[in-house]
Amino acid sequence: MVNLKNIIEVKDFVKKYNNFTAVDNVSFEVEEGSIFAFLGPNGAGKSTTINTLCTIFDKTSGSLFIDGKDVTHEKDAVRNIIGVVFQEPTLDNKMTVNENLIMHCHFYGISKNEATERIQFALNLVDLLDWKKAMVSSLSGGMKRRVEIARSLLHYPKVLFLDEPTTGLDPQTRAHIWDYIVKLQKEKNITIFLTTHYMDEAEICGKVAIMDTGKIVALDTPYRLKQQYTKDKAYITTKDEQGLISLLDKGNYSYKQKPGYFSIEVDDIPKLMELLSEQKSVITDLEIKKGTLNDVFLEITGKDIRK
Amino acid sequence: MDIVLALWYRNIKIFTRNRVQLSFTIIMPFFFLYVFSAIFKNDNILNPVNYMLAGIVITTVFQTSLSIATSTIEDIVSGFMKEVLVSPVKRIQIAAGQLLSAATIATLQGIIILFIGYFIGLKFTSIITPFAVIGVMIVVGLVFSGLGLYIAALVKNSQTFQIVIMAITMPLTFLCGAYIPLSLLPNVLQYIAYFNPMTYTTAFFRTIILEKTTLTTDQLIAEQLAFKIGNFVITPAISMFIVIVFGFVFLLLSTYVFSKVDFSRINRSKSKEGDIWS
Repeated sequence: MVNLKNIIEVKDFVKKYNNFTAVDNVSFEVEEGSIFAFLGPNGAGKSTTINTLCTIFDKTSGSLFIDGKDVTHEKDAVRNIIGVVFQEPTLDNKMTVNENLIMHCHFYGISKNEATERIQFALNLVDLLDWKKAMVSSLSGGMKRRVEIARSLLHYPKVLFLDEPTTGLDPQTRAHIWDYIVKLQKEKNITIFLTTHYMDEAEICGKVAIMDTGKIVALDTPYRLKQQYTKDKAYITTKDEQGLISLLDKGNYSYKQKPGYFSIEVDDIPKLMELLSEQKSVITDLEIKKGTLNDVFLEITGKDIRK
Repeated sequence: MDIVLALWYRNIKIFTRNRVQLSFTIIMPFFFLYVFSAIFKNDNILNPVNYMLAGIVITTVFQTSLSIATSTIEDIVSGFMKEVLVSPVKRIQIAAGQLLSAATIATLQGIIILFIGYFIGLKFTSIITPFAVIGVMIVVGLVFSGLGLYIAALVKNSQTFQIVIMAITMPLTFLCGAYIPLSLLPNVLQYIAYFNPMTYTTAFFRTIILEKTTLTTDQLIAEQLAFKIGNFVITPAISMFIVIVFGFVFLLLSTYVFSKVDFSRINRSKSKEGDIWS
């Protein structure tokens, strides 16, 4: 078994603002080359954590290391190996796409020749080569986000931080951006650390940390989280309610009867299927829904992720 | 250095594209000139308009450099600067870029007002004067952008920030002799004016721009270009020295404090505490 290195290590991290504790003793590790997500509602402490890892904020206590470098005491070393895409666009609207990318190369000490090559590659990756000379103000929200992703790659970072990368974008753009992120990760083996409050994004990640009011309440792969905290649900519609009820009673299933359908919690799907096949005529429609991460969140905290 | 220039250039570009702001900063001083020039008429001052104009130019430089430097923090909190903060660019390079661009923009505005003033009657007899004038403007721009950056880095609360800026700009502008001659101020305010770096800046600048460097001490005092405190006379040369000392102090303080600022504690937006980036 390959021993994968942990590229991000956070231990007992606390962030307080006067009396308000934004992050309350948080610890976690991120494997190199993985996609890691922080999932949780607004105000949970996700942005504070990511901003501290990006060296913008100072911690109150604890230790944060990226690639073995201390985020508090080796800031410059950390800044050279991380790339950041913020929640809102931080592009200079009054400059062209190319000018923005060149500015970035200046900041990271990339020589002029190297810069031209890398800009070409990055823009090509996000399909925006044609817009190189366009004013940033003329781009749509989704395109701006893609430019920011391209920009964050120019200095070949080891870790890419994405703070709510698709918030505020339409579904089609969101899907595209995710395509790029996944493509990126595969080709360059970059570690991706993101925060989100979209469950469907968190589902794609290798590991998810669920955060609420400053604490990590769960940390595991999406699959294991759902296994541990949720049950699959089966939704059955029928024309013969009595028949279905007696069938379910026979199998010892507790059910909820709703207008138009029955819902059942299922542990063992094949077993349910065997039971239902005994009297197939009773069923007009069957849908099986797996638990979602929102269900996980609900189960752990009693709240929905989106209020 | 490359980075400082890149930041400097970007700020200049943005400023030159904001035409509304530009027009306002040019029109306002001339309004003041019209209103206040009557106050300066007395026997000793030959040309009150030029006298006032000089004061206006230098206070414009002062106010512009102060306001641009203080807006550095707003720039950082919202937008473009965030990208700079996570990059390996050192804080001191950011500070340098901001200070230099504030001073440059302030000087450019001063030059524009001077240029218009030329048509009202402000003339130079010596060829050295324009260069000296621009030189002084740059120095003044640097001095007060240092002060602005220092204030911006210190004051973290959004409500007090606006008040602090007002509280600093108003007395510095009106208690320096630029709009109201010091001799017309009540004694207490005159006394306070002697602690105001702008007072010495204005006196020194006027001496240079009105080409009064060859006057005797008594004449200088009569024209309010030198000050007599007790038995000690502060000549324009000493004024210049005072200004430069202030400048060093401000610049050192500002770059030091700016390097150490914890941006998570800056709450300039109206969102809840700690919510600054979300």
